[in-house]
Amino acid sequence: MNEAVTNLWSVPLLIIIPILTAILVNLLYNKTKAIRAISVGASIAVLAIAVLSPYGFHWFAGHPAVNSDGTYTFTASVFSWKLSLEYYYGPLQQILIGLMSLLLLFTVLIATKSLSKNLGPYLAIIFLTYVSAAAVLMTNDFYHLWIAVELGSLLVAGLVASSGTAYAQKAALKYTFFSALAGSGLAISLGLILGLTGYVNITDAIHFLMSNDLGGMYAVLYVAFAFLTLAWVYAGGLVPVHPLKSDVYRSAFPHGTVLLQTQSKLMLVAIGIVMLRLFGSLPFATDVMLVISVLTMIFGVVMALIQTDLRWILAYLIVSHSGLVTVGLSLGTYRGIVGGIFQALNDVIYMSILLICCEMLLYFGKGSTSIKFGGGVAKKSPWLAAFAVLGAMAASGIPPFNGFQSELILLQAALEQGLPEVAAVILMVSVSTFVALFRAIYSIFLKPEPEKTSESYVGRFKMPDVVFISLVVLLSISLILGVYPQLAFSFINESALKVVLVPWVP
Amino acid sequence: MGSIDSLYDKIKRYLTSIFGGEGSTDAITGYSSGELQMAVFVMLLASLFRIFLIPLGIVLLLGAAIMVAYFAPIIRTVELENSNDLNRVLFWVIVYFSIILAVTLWGI
Repeated sequence: MNEAVTNLWSVPLLIIIPILTAILVNLLYNKTKAIRAISVGASIAVLAIAVLSPYGFHWFAGHPAVNSDGTYTFTASVFSWKLSLEYYYGPLQQILIGLMSLLLLFTVLIATKSLSKNLGPYLAIIFLTYVSAAAVLMTNDFYHLWIAVELGSLLVAGLVASSGTAYAQKAALKYTFFSALAGSGLAISLGLILGLTGYVNITDAIHFLMSNDLGGMYAVLYVAFAFLTLAWVYAGGLVPVHPLKSDVYRSAFPHGTVLLQTQSKLMLVAIGIVMLRLFGSLPFATDVMLVISVLTMIFGVVMALIQTDLRWILAYLIVSHSGLVTVGLSLGTYRGIVGGIFQALNDVIYMSILLICCEMLLYFGKGSTSIKFGGGVAKKSPWLAAFAVLGAMAASGIPPFNGFQSELILLQAALEQGLPEVAAVILMVSVSTFVALFRAIYSIFLKPEPEKTSESYVGRFKMPDVVFISLVVLLSISLILGVYPQLAFSFINESALKVVLVPWVP
Repeated sequence: MGSIDSLYDKIKRYLTSIFGGEGSTDAITGYSSGELQMAVFVMLLASLFRIFLIPLGIVLLLGAAIMVAYFAPIIRTVELENSNDLNRVLFWVIVYFSIILAVTLWGI
């Protein structure tokens, strides 16, 4: 299949603007006003590009195309060549990168409000984290996939370590250690696929696999699948790497975790789709993905139940809900894939609401997020309590919020596949999320304030306008998607159909 | 002579003896819910084997129910195995990776 070489203008801008911003703010180091102006401007610019950009390709290198029947197409015209190293910007990329850009803007606004020391390097890492996730979402070749995943994992460690505590630095070090393992695994996997097919372009590799009998080489493909699964598990924080990933989520500043969890969810979707396209038809491949997803859901939510700190609870719930995303993808059906991607979108939104509430408790309220003490916050900041309660409702899948719609689709997809046990686990996760979150919310916000102690919240909360607007916007999106989910489906449907209807042109 | 304790008192005393602290702390609520979740999950997992053979699913479900009751509480073990200790995570990564390779290569 050939594509016109459009070299879409927006694709390089989505990568280069954040990189240039990262360099600039790093150089400015502690000049808060200038850093704030540049970083907010850059965030608005990438958001505008993500929204306004048309769909198309950006081309880095090419070769004669491999058709779906295994023949080659070659003409002298460069425009009939197959794109080899390429980025693709389509509806799925638009909605996911658009949402991530919005969250980047909120993260930058909150970071510049709450931090003053080392602001430049910190924001540089935030912008590069954005780049890694955007690149993974857009790429359709193995080289860029590997580079972006590797870059992303190191940036996660950097973002966590920059929060400054000894515990955070230990968590970052552990995560980096596994980065070496998973990164090598990804490289081996891609090397094996490259060796089997001879193509770095993912679509070309799929065409080759479909039109050629691998004979005794199938074992190599299975090994490649196992190594790619290792990278998927690591990038998304699935079982058995979830203790390290939850450590990462809870050690970073909550506003940093907003971007970290967004990056994880988007990587889960992007790498998951590549895995489905490449290995979806192999026996056991989707079964392996499904088992990992179910274990992630249950271990995440059980660990969340036994925590006594809101940050820990959120960290484990993010892990558990990553399992909800991947369970949809693992089902491999049209409805499952739509449900999985929609869940990723929703999850990012409601978890961001809760994380921003957590940020408020930690830094603006000068309090602790532990549920062992506290109480009475609702009286001092009714708006914050309202946002936390509504965010928790969305996360628990209560209508009319967005979480309800995606979990309903996932339940339907599991039942359609004849897997009521998986549907039961999804329900368990939903109910347990409610229990875990409302235990914390009751103790921190709704319970009457105990006797004054040195750890009691002092005075009345004054929520900064920036945070208030961020929460209102995110909650509005949550409500809109809950009431009118078709809005998101129009962006997701195309990609889900393309995965199911192999051969697939990105 | 029978005990004058109500069933609630017995359960509360049993849970307190396992987890320590006050009987009505948040930790007890969380650990109890977690224990029940794990029990249900293990049984659900066992029942999934009905896909291969329905009698196998029934036997494994019964076996899982007995095991869960016998080894209770399992939540402490689950918590320990899900700790962020690097060696433990590395161990589980190797186990998972081996299983994934074995299962997929088995299909050839």
